[in-house]
Amino acid sequence: MAAPFLECKEISKTFGGIEALTHVNLTVEANSLTGVIGPNGAGKTTLFNIISGALLPTAGEVIFKGKKISGMGPARVCRLGIARTYQLVRPFNSLCAIENVLIGLGFGRTTPLSKNNRVAEAIKILQFVGLGDKINHVAEGLTLVEKKHLEIARALATGPEILLLDEVVSGLNPTEVTQIIETIQQIQAGGITIIMIEHILKVVMALCERVVVLNYGVQIAEGTPKEVVSDEAVIEAYIGKFEDTEGNPDA
Amino acid sequence: MNRRGKKLFYLVVLLLCLLLAALPWIGFSYAVVWIFLLAVYFTLALSYDIVGGYMGYMNLGHSTFFGLGAYTTAILLNQGFNLFAALLGALLLTAVFAAVVSYPLFRLRGAYFALATFGLISLIEVLTTNLRDLTGGSGGISTPPGNHMIPSYYLVLAVAGGTMVLSQIVARSKFGLALFSIREDEEVAAAFGVPTTLYKCLALIISSAPASLVGGIYVWNMTYISPNSVFGLEIALSPIIMAMLGGTGIMIGPLVGAVFITVVQEFLWTKVPYFHLAMYGTVLVLLGLFMPGGLVRTRFIKPFIQWLGLGETVDYFKNADAERIP
Amino acid sequence: MTADFIQLLVGGILLGGIYGLAAFGLSITFGVLNVLNLAHGEFLMLGSLMSYGLFIGLGINPFMAAILVIPVFMLLGVGFYLLLLKPIMDKPPHQLLVASILVTLGASLFIEDVTAFFWERPVTGISYSLPPMELAGVVISSTRLLILLFIFALACGMQIYLKKTYVGKSIRAIVQGREGAKIVGIPISRVSALAFSIGMALAASAGAFYVTLFTVTPTMGIPLTIKYLCVVVLGGLGSIVGSIFGGLILGVAETLTAYYCGAEWSPTIAFILLILILIIKPEGLFGAKK
Repeated sequence: MAAPFLECKEISKTFGGIEALTHVNLTVEANSLTGVIGPNGAGKTTLFNIISGALLPTAGEVIFKGKKISGMGPARVCRLGIARTYQLVRPFNSLCAIENVLIGLGFGRTTPLSKNNRVAEAIKILQFVGLGDKINHVAEGLTLVEKKHLEIARALATGPEILLLDEVVSGLNPTEVTQIIETIQQIQAGGITIIMIEHILKVVMALCERVVVLNYGVQIAEGTPKEVVSDEAVIEAYIGKFEDTEGNPDA
Repeated sequence: MNRRGKKLFYLVVLLLCLLLAALPWIGFSYAVVWIFLLAVYFTLALSYDIVGGYMGYMNLGHSTFFGLGAYTTAILLNQGFNLFAALLGALLLTAVFAAVVSYPLFRLRGAYFALATFGLISLIEVLTTNLRDLTGGSGGISTPPGNHMIPSYYLVLAVAGGTMVLSQIVARSKFGLALFSIREDEEVAAAFGVPTTLYKCLALIISSAPASLVGGIYVWNMTYISPNSVFGLEIALSPIIMAMLGGTGIMIGPLVGAVFITVVQEFLWTKVPYFHLAMYGTVLVLLGLFMPGGLVRTRFIKPFIQWLGLGETVDYFKNADAERIP
Repeated sequence: MTADFIQLLVGGILLGGIYGLAAFGLSITFGVLNVLNLAHGEFLMLGSLMSYGLFIGLGINPFMAAILVIPVFMLLGVGFYLLLLKPIMDKPPHQLLVASILVTLGASLFIEDVTAFFWERPVTGISYSLPPMELAGVVISSTRLLILLFIFALACGMQIYLKKTYVGKSIRAIVQGREGAKIVGIPISRVSALAFSIGMALAASAGAFYVTLFTVTPTMGIPLTIKYLCVVVLGGLGSIVGSIFGGLILGVAETLTAYYCGAEWSPTIAFILLILILIIKPEGLFGAKK
């Protein structure tokens, strides 16, 4: 039996006295689209931080393509093929869009491209996410949805095999949400594995093949979106907290 | 703005350079000394900005490199080495010093880093004063006498020009882009593969080089330095104020700042003998409150700079929206 | 030899207490405003001068002076905040850094220069003393002991204030998370102004004691601020209690170094401690590891 693409084994994380994550197990198949959901403070971003190498787990390990990656720093993990976006967007603000992408291209790959190829590739990636006409625009001046696309572009520039998207849809209006969903689907079609943290039920149902539910750092359910939504423990944890795209609670 | 305007501007620049080169022969010896000092301050301001402006770590202790370069050169000259060997020694010693202190100091961020590097100056000053046998203590150190004004004038202009080239090369390179990303968001930069620890150290070493060189040229010319003259408040703060006043993070900034301040100092300070530091202080406060980006980013000067194409990076796509100076 | 050593130790602890008190103020300021006030040392100097003036002019002893300076400097602190800091507080982090260094450094230079103009000669220490006490065979200056107790009481008072009162809790809330505090409805600007003025007042108060031990010169401000930085880093960024311990360590270290190695080496010890702690335990003695 082939080893899973990405595996989080018994991940626990304590901050001072607070247990942010307890015995979380996650298995992700290659080229899949997995969702991680849960109420605020459930530990979802902490999980991402551990997978991407920004945080060390207090216990447990992260195994990627058979190799243990928990303990390597974020730079190494990035080069190995896991890239991420941030919940509160963090582009390189006073650099322009293309420079943001060039950072990913220049430093996030194991085999960097030559200078000319880099610029051409950066332009291609920006066009792919729909920022082809904003190449020289300073990141700070972009709209929120453009910044989110820029973060995705920057992450794609590192040539990732796994893309971690942290609440990439939050704060967007319905048109923008559709835009981004399209982009995400195209990315998955290109062979990349996607794990996304998401709040908005519609997006999760539409995109994800499997869903993991966290509550207070504990994994309370796992399965297809349909299974998870009808799971009793999940319903209890949320009780009406599921939102549709306008942010209104489910009737 | 049109092609002819640009050509005219560059012609003016060329004429200025020719004037500078010919200055010693025209006979304005005061102007030569004045330009010499301006070039020293300018080089310090520009080299400071590689770490302070490009990378966002305000190294208020930049003049430590200047002082170390000066003292090392002085000691080596007194040992009988020729100027170039002495300068080389100064360069190497200061580079090693920069590498060594970067290890603990870069664990600090922001204002803590600024203050700690500022403290470094007094630490080195105290060490220099106390190691009397090596450095001559508080009385200072003299080097073999001689009138080196003209050769050191050309030498310092060469170093200043070289620093401008260095600054541009760094700004347009992948390394420079990495420095910018460290300034913007160091944690994210690291997450995308930028080797932050290594690059911070390299940046510091690179910025130390021009500083130590002009320190050596300075002592060769003056034939005497004391701890206070090379580690004092004036030489420590002036270049940084110039870089900030002109515009930090962009090569043309320190140039504008250096010229501006030297000119103003020239006219103002002879008229008002007191309160020099207080005036500096007021300028700093006003800068911080109203123009932290410096003169080149103000509404009047910014378009001119963009027209000249003196932003840090090349235009990747001939797009009229190229807003490179944020 | 041991009697000497104990005297040194006491002297060091006293000096350390003064450092700790001032650094405590700096820590609060940094925690609340996220701005390192480079002019902090200037306020210690001004506090010293005021204490000196009160002593010479009105015969007020340093203990009274230490209390009197508090309201004066709180007012000055609020003024400083409103004039210089409030306008830049909302800038993004990198710009805030540049602006805050420019503004506080500029203020520092200004204060220093103007003070030097009006007060040319260095202010010699106040010779104020009570009869010495004897404790287990060792003669201890009771003045020093009283000062130490006073500082300790002041620090404890501050801690209680921070933990028990509403304002104190607001301050701690902001230190822990600015955004969260905003959401909960804490008036950030007003609390910041208050915290800043408390920081200034503590520095001035420390200065009132400083002048009983040392000569005060107008240019001592910036080297002092650098020392406080070392103390704060030593104690741990974000740990207010840590600053006091850091101060004590520095005070003892400086006094011992001055005695055993010569006075000209004692300015370096602060920096050496800084470098050491950065290499060994960068978060500081009481700081939290990431």
